[in-house]
Amino acid sequence: MLVVLKAKLKDILNTLAEEYKVLVPAKIEDTSKFISYKDNVDIILDENVKLSPKDVFFPQTEKMYKMKTVKTSMELENITDEAGKKLLFGVRSCDMKSLDCFDQVFLTKGYIDEFYKNKRDSVVTIALSCSQPMQTCFCSAMGVDSQKAVGADVQAYDLGDKIGLEAISDEGSKVIELIKGQLTEEGAEVPQPGEFYLKVDADGVSEKLNGMFESPIWDDVSKKCLNCGACTYVCPTCHCFDISQEVRGENVTKYRCWDSCMFGEYTQMAGGHNPRPTKKERVRNRFMHKLNYFPDRYNMLLCTGCGRCINVCPVNLDITSVIKQIKEAE
Amino acid sequence: MVDLTLEIRKTAKELLEKGEAKVVLGWEKGNFPYSTTPVFIDKPEDTERLIWDEYCINNLALYMLDYKHLDGKVGIFVKGCDSRGINRLVQDKQLDREKVILIGLSCPGMKDEKKAKELGPNADIPMAQKCQDCRYPDPVVYDVFLGEKQNKKVPEKIDTSDVEEMETKSPDEKYRFFTTNYEKCLRCYACRNVCPACNCKECIFDQTATGWLAKANNVSNNMFFALTRAMHVGGRCIECGECERVCSVNIPIMLLNKKIIKDINFLFGDYDAGLETEERLPLGGYDYTDPEEFM
Ligand code: SF4
Ligand code: SF4
Ligand code: SF4
Ligand code: SF4
Ligand code: SF4
Repeated sequence: MLVVLKAKLKDILNTLAEEYKVLVPAKIEDTSKFISYKDNVDIILDENVKLSPKDVFFPQTEKMYKMKTVKTSMELENITDEAGKKLLFGVRSCDMKSLDCFDQVFLTKGYIDEFYKNKRDSVVTIALSCSQPMQTCFCSAMGVDSQKAVGADVQAYDLGDKIGLEAISDEGSKVIELIKGQLTEEGAEVPQPGEFYLKVDADGVSEKLNGMFESPIWDDVSKKCLNCGACTYVCPTCHCFDISQEVRGENVTKYRCWDSCMFGEYTQMAGGHNPRPTKKERVRNRFMHKLNYFPDRYNMLLCTGCGRCINVCPVNLDITSVIKQIKEAE
Repeated sequence: MVDLTLEIRKTAKELLEKGEAKVVLGWEKGNFPYSTTPVFIDKPEDTERLIWDEYCINNLALYMLDYKHLDGKVGIFVKGCDSRGINRLVQDKQLDREKVILIGLSCPGMKDEKKAKELGPNADIPMAQKCQDCRYPDPVVYDVFLGEKQNKKVPEKIDTSDVEEMETKSPDEKYRFFTTNYEKCLRCYACRNVCPACNCKECIFDQTATGWLAKANNVSNNMFFALTRAMHVGGRCIECGECERVCSVNIPIMLLNKKIIKDINFLFGDYDAGLETEERLPLGGYDYTDPEEFM
């Protein structure tokens, strides 16, 4: 395996930055997320970032196009993404899996979301294995291998004071080619992941939910929920959006922005009716979507076990407890 | 706290068995040593789930909004901050005091859950910021009291040294401070939804059709949200610190709340919200002696 000392990581990133716009997981302003690589950023390798990389592909607010009224007609103007390839370094397996989920939503079933596709096509990924799961991680229970990510161009391995690198795709081989001179060949093995603290058995949960739309557990599960959007906004797989516009005189900018099924306003109809009037229906939707509707449509869970929702929930509504409750329900 | 846990269970059980309360709100253990989660008990046999430990930090008062129309009474365990939250709702005419049975608990100060996550299992976990700043750990109102009161001498005045420090900064520095913070705001509204003073039936931020606040996430919209939220709870904020505790991206929300409290104290005389329910709110009425330099 080709390896590099963690202490020399920045040399490699510097080389890659000549070719790509490099994004790295870093501590910033009392939180952490993927930011543009610069020599002085505080890269974190010992835990996953608090805010998922989904905004690289699906920004919280994304301008779509502009309109301008000219007398009695209207001119449309496209908004193009900044040119150039991006490279995401250090994406964990759970977040790579969430990109797999996003691909299903935005690129399959005969519909292509151009906004997403443009961004997705311009990003090369270097996934990074986890040596020690964080306390809230439960990816293995959701069928994600923390040592080998799906869809990565390069798989990196955390080898203690070194990082091992393995090209997976053609794009990945190009990346390795660029930094080859800075890597050494060593007989390292794919590491074993540490023990997971959170344990849950999610087998069969999707099928079990088939008859549970009217189950009394939703009353119970939802009572403590505040219907904030924290869990869905930090979730790497949640992908709901709303389309709105900014109007300034004759100029209109259409944009889309994240929305959350936890908000009452999300299902508010123009006539005043709301089909999900209380927290019960909203919480039920969140878990049904993740664990039943999505698997039904795309044959995969819409939860990667990253544990972020557990981390931010103000009232500790824990998805692993909900899964257990579903499985134990009569 | 173990003994008190047993007493809590016993009290809750009696309330439910005698039919005095239809449901009892307390805390149960979460999946981590450092987590608890609100629990709603309606069967006497379930009272075994209740616990009282150094992580029972959630202010439960706001849940009373969900029980406004319940036919029957609700029992609720209250620490100092929770009890002020109950007063908040009563004074705001959101809750009929007769409908709740308050079971008071003197709070030793809860530990910081976020720090516990970071520091790991064997570390010495510091007290949560909101508890370090708390001046009323004993409930200010209750029907039953369990355990012993601390009668801890509260500092006379709220500590606003952080606000004062911010006030000495130049406008540019202040602007930079608030913009870097609110640039990262997700607008998840956890701070609003956890707040017992945020009890409007329909929040201004949910009325997106009006165009008051666009859904687009950018620093100007986010600051409009933050300032409006802080002003809406001005004079009613009970300093429970829940908003700051739950912020997904660690924005120091209390700084704004405390600035408003400090100004109110200066302009209208010292006022601690949520200590009682009869007095007129400092921003809720007009008085001939009110300053009005701006007119
Ligand atoms: S539901 Fe929670 S654990 Fe699952 S992917 Fe989303 S944030 Fe991660
Ligand atoms: S959930 Fe799994 S892949 Fe994601 S950070 Fe934790 S251990 Fe790594
Ligand atoms: S973060 Fe927790 S309280 Fe907020 S909507 Fe999600 S589950 Fe409910
Ligand atoms: S604004 Fe914050 S400190 Fe004040 S009452 Fe609301 S949650 Fe508590
Ligand atoms: S909790 Fe924090 S991130 Fe969420 S809306 Fe409030 S200030 Fe913004």
